[in-house]
Amino acid sequence: MRALRYALDEALSSLWRGRRSGFMATATIAVALFVLGGFLWIASTLDRLGAAWSQAAELSVYLDDRATSANRGAIEQALAPGDLVASFEFVSKEEAAKRFKQTFTELAGTFDSLDANPLPPSYEVRLHTAPAARARVEDLVDRLRKLAGVSDVKYDRQWVERLLAAVTIVRVIGLVLGTVLTVTASLTVASVVRLALHARREEVEIMQLVGAPLTYIRGPFVMEGLLQGGLGAAAALGALAAVFLVSRGRYLVPLAAALDLSTVSFLPVGPCLLLLGGGMAVGCLGGLVAAVGGEPKRVVTES
Amino acid sequence: MIECYRLSKVYSRGVYALRDLSLTIGKGEFLFLTGPSGAGKSTFLRLVLCEEVPTDGRLVVSGRDIASLNRSEVQRYRRTIGFVFQDFRLIPRMTVFENVAFVMRVLGVPLGHRQRKTFQVLKWLGLQHRMNALPEELSGGEQQRVAIARALVNDPHIVLADEPTGNLDPDLALDVMNLFREINARGTTVVVATHDRELIRRVGRRAVTLDHGRVVEAA
Repeated sequence: MRALRYALDEALSSLWRGRRSGFMATATIAVALFVLGGFLWIASTLDRLGAAWSQAAELSVYLDDRATSANRGAIEQALAPGDLVASFEFVSKEEAAKRFKQTFTELAGTFDSLDANPLPPSYEVRLHTAPAARARVEDLVDRLRKLAGVSDVKYDRQWVERLLAAVTIVRVIGLVLGTVLTVTASLTVASVVRLALHARREEVEIMQLVGAPLTYIRGPFVMEGLLQGGLGAAAALGALAAVFLVSRGRYLVPLAAALDLSTVSFLPVGPCLLLLGGGMAVGCLGGLVAAVGGEPKRVVTES
Repeated sequence: MIECYRLSKVYSRGVYALRDLSLTIGKGEFLFLTGPSGAGKSTFLRLVLCEEVPTDGRLVVSGRDIASLNRSEVQRYRRTIGFVFQDFRLIPRMTVFENVAFVMRVLGVPLGHRQRKTFQVLKWLGLQHRMNALPEELSGGEQQRVAIARALVNDPHIVLADEPTGNLDPDLALDVMNLFREINARGTTVVVATHDRELIRRVGRRAVTLDHGRVVEAA
């Protein structure tokens, strides 16, 4: 406990003394984690979008205006819930028109001016998400297309799969870029801590000569890196939150509505804690590298 | 207390700093190591302090062969030794009090004990009125007394001093030596490396003269 207190006191005083270079290291970590956090946010939002799209009607069966109730009965029999179809909903021409006007309010007037409702009645079908079920969707689509009264069948799954592929790409880019920037940040912290260590070289030598424990010798430098990392991560999270708040009203909410995403939200708690912990770990590692590599090498012992 | 048998230390390119040195320093003894520059005085002190390991021979301190100590044993061993440098090596940003208390602080000594002990040592060395001063505000003699206080604050069994009067005028040098005599009178083993023969003569204690790493005279 005393060693921890000593490390904290010395680290804080060293950070204050070397605040310029310390700021540089903190800013580097902040930039690295801002970029990483930004990619994490995009990936998590796309994930949610993928999940929303996956749960939305994946199969749309459009009917001919002239479809009879017997035709609809045959179609509904084909769509009977089972191990492939989870549920289905009939959307009449009137319901389709209502939904269109709700979604595209600015086009409602134009729509009303039309002589007749051009939207076809349809079935919105939700499918089971199990991969085994997905393999049989194409068969169902073929069967539905051959039924009387069906004018078209649209299967959205391809879009969802493209979206999920995009999420993977975004995640990989984020990880690669984040890793490179994080390594750079760690090296910057190590350099700054090494400068602090050089400035306190005599103290460290005296500590070695009087037999101070390693926790007292290295602790302040590791703590300094840890604080820089933590501050950098907190700054990155703050900047991400600021960017999110500023752009939410103007860009994110309309974009989410257009993409059929119910809400836009900031990074979940898990990734936030991960960024904070990651920043501290990176700083700590930088501090440790500096402390171990930069200690005066006058002590020569053999066991 | 300190015994060495055929102790040798060879640096790179085969240069001998110490060669076959055999020497015994008894518990509570005051010993001068003297000789010209490069004689091996500082190397001997560094070996005793475990800053270096002998190339050959044995160095036994308080019954332990110090070449065989591992890192944590070296740390514990060093807590029994006080060291005084020629250039004082005080920490400029710390006051006199903080400089002296620093040793106990990094050894995890509780604050109350640390403060009592530091004040006690500063008072003994006549520095209590300067305890809030920074090193740059002190004279050379005062700085060296602070360095000695720092070496003593942890109650060491042995005090090693490497040219402790090298930066002081003759009167201050004698004052510092008198301090070492007082320290020795309290039972602490004192080893002082100095090339100042006149000072040795005035203090009048056992002296071992080294040259090129060998004992050339013992008086």
